[in-house]
Amino acid sequence: MDELIEILEDIQPDADYETCTTLIDDGILDSFAILSIVSELEDAFDIRITPAEIIPENFNSAKALYAMVQRLQG
Amino acid sequence: MSFVSVEFLAFTAICTAGYYLIPKRAQWVWLLIFSYVYYLAQGPQYIFFILFATAITYLGGLWAESGSKAAVPVTLLLDFGMLAAVKYTNFMIGNLNGLFGTEIREMRLLLPLGISFYTFQATGYLLDVHWKRVRAERNPFRFALFLSFFPQILQGPIGRYGRLADSLYAEKEFDMERILRGLYRIAWGFFKKIVIADNAALYVNTIFDNYATLRGYGILGVLMYSAQLYGDFSGGIDVVLGIAEMLGVSLDENFRQPYFAVSITDFWHRWHITLGTWMKDYLFYPISLSRWMGRFGKWCKTHMGKSTGRAMPICVANVIVFLVVGVWHGPAWHNIVYGLYNGLIIGISGLLAKNYREARKRLGIGKDTRWFYIFQILRTFVLVNISWYFDRAGSVGQAFMMMKDSILHFAFSINVVDAGACWSGSQTVTFCAILIGCAVLFVHSVMEERGVSVGEALCRKPLPVRFAVLLLLVLSLVLIGSEPLSQGGFIYANF
Repeated sequence: MDELIEILEDIQPDADYETCTTLIDDGILDSFAILSIVSELEDAFDIRITPAEIIPENFNSAKALYAMVQRLQG
Repeated sequence: MSFVSVEFLAFTAICTAGYYLIPKRAQWVWLLIFSYVYYLAQGPQYIFFILFATAITYLGGLWAESGSKAAVPVTLLLDFGMLAAVKYTNFMIGNLNGLFGTEIREMRLLLPLGISFYTFQATGYLLDVHWKRVRAERNPFRFALFLSFFPQILQGPIGRYGRLADSLYAEKEFDMERILRGLYRIAWGFFKKIVIADNAALYVNTIFDNYATLRGYGILGVLMYSAQLYGDFSGGIDVVLGIAEMLGVSLDENFRQPYFAVSITDFWHRWHITLGTWMKDYLFYPISLSRWMGRFGKWCKTHMGKSTGRAMPICVANVIVFLVVGVWHGPAWHNIVYGLYNGLIIGISGLLAKNYREARKRLGIGKDTRWFYIFQILRTFVLVNISWYFDRAGSVGQAFMMMKDSILHFAFSINVVDAGACWSGSQTVTFCAILIGCAVLFVHSVMEERGVSVGEALCRKPLPVRFAVLLLLVLSLVLIGSEPLSQGGFIYANF
């Protein structure tokens, strides 16, 4: 989870990733940020993220992102 | 049957009245019948195309759900193949003739009304089924209504099955509040269309169609085009959303104060929102996440460093998407330049995002710095207006020539239009009508931007106040609407 937070803060520093659960709904992450995150997650966790995964439920919080990463690793 | 006609208003009134009088379980069938009657009234020759798209996508959805890998490419090929054939064949022939000196004759092709909108809606549904975001619709007639719902079929908003279906097929009780909300929205839409757009169109058409003789009026022309396009398209969408509201159907919003955008990216989050989100979900993400783009990204990271390398494929995907947006606007090179212009600005902004952030930090410009916020809005407005030159001009050369003349031979006169073409016979009155319309729209937009929903705030007022506002809007249409309102087609209905 720490590695994930580090990636998020590098790409979009203006957010509190520990508590925020509306990263997409409130427009904190735009499509550029989302794809940058995807690119970093694919490299860091050796996973493949498809367009089907790009839904608000997977990107609204760091916790949701982490759950997606774990699911795709499994 | 144009939206701006007595026939259409009567058609809508009969549809709405009957909708609440018949048994509720038949309401969606009623909508389907009225939708097809409306489409047939546009010209019976168009019906084949929408029936084809409906049948192909309905079957394609069921096929995709069965897990077949061929279902999506085959259905997309058929859907987009039909769109490309009717919309771009002559453009390709013209370019081939120009390039190779051939004399291939252009074809006489029908351009079915609203074909882009229902094709996009159909293909979005197909991909949602493929990605298991929604289940395929079993009932072909219900699916037919999803693609043909009459208020939205000609100019959107582009609906998503996951959000639209339930509200389209649900049984609804009559609700006077909802009817009034819908009527207010329709009247507001007509105000934007008839008072602002149709009057501004006189200036736009005069200046752009006579640019070689009326040199230097480009800035007046393009500002009027800003007003016309927004008033026309968002006004049309207000009418669509108002009718849907009366029928208890929730459609997605298509505009959110676009001229208050702080960047071109932000502008596309506020202008034609449903096209932007469609492009993002069904084109931008699939291109960006494709295997070949992944390989390109890895190459960029190795050769350009982590940050630039990460942003580069996203920028390339972005330019491709806006190229498609440009082509979607029409088969002509000035539209392609319009798309590329937007794509390049957004792509370069994305590439430099980190540098901007650091520069702002160093200069002490915070998120809430007021002057910078206003500067960003004005800068974006100028950039958007430059893009409108390409959008409205008949050719790339004309756009550049008008831009050059706007600066080198600047000219301004409200009398540039022919007095005889003005509904009042006076250029001053017409110009003032546009200014008043824009001022009302500006105040409305400021309130909405501050989180006040004008429509909902109005609904909380006593009934006499609501009727008074509605009456005022309708009266303004009659008093300061432009003369050719009965011919008033909508710009985006040609897509």
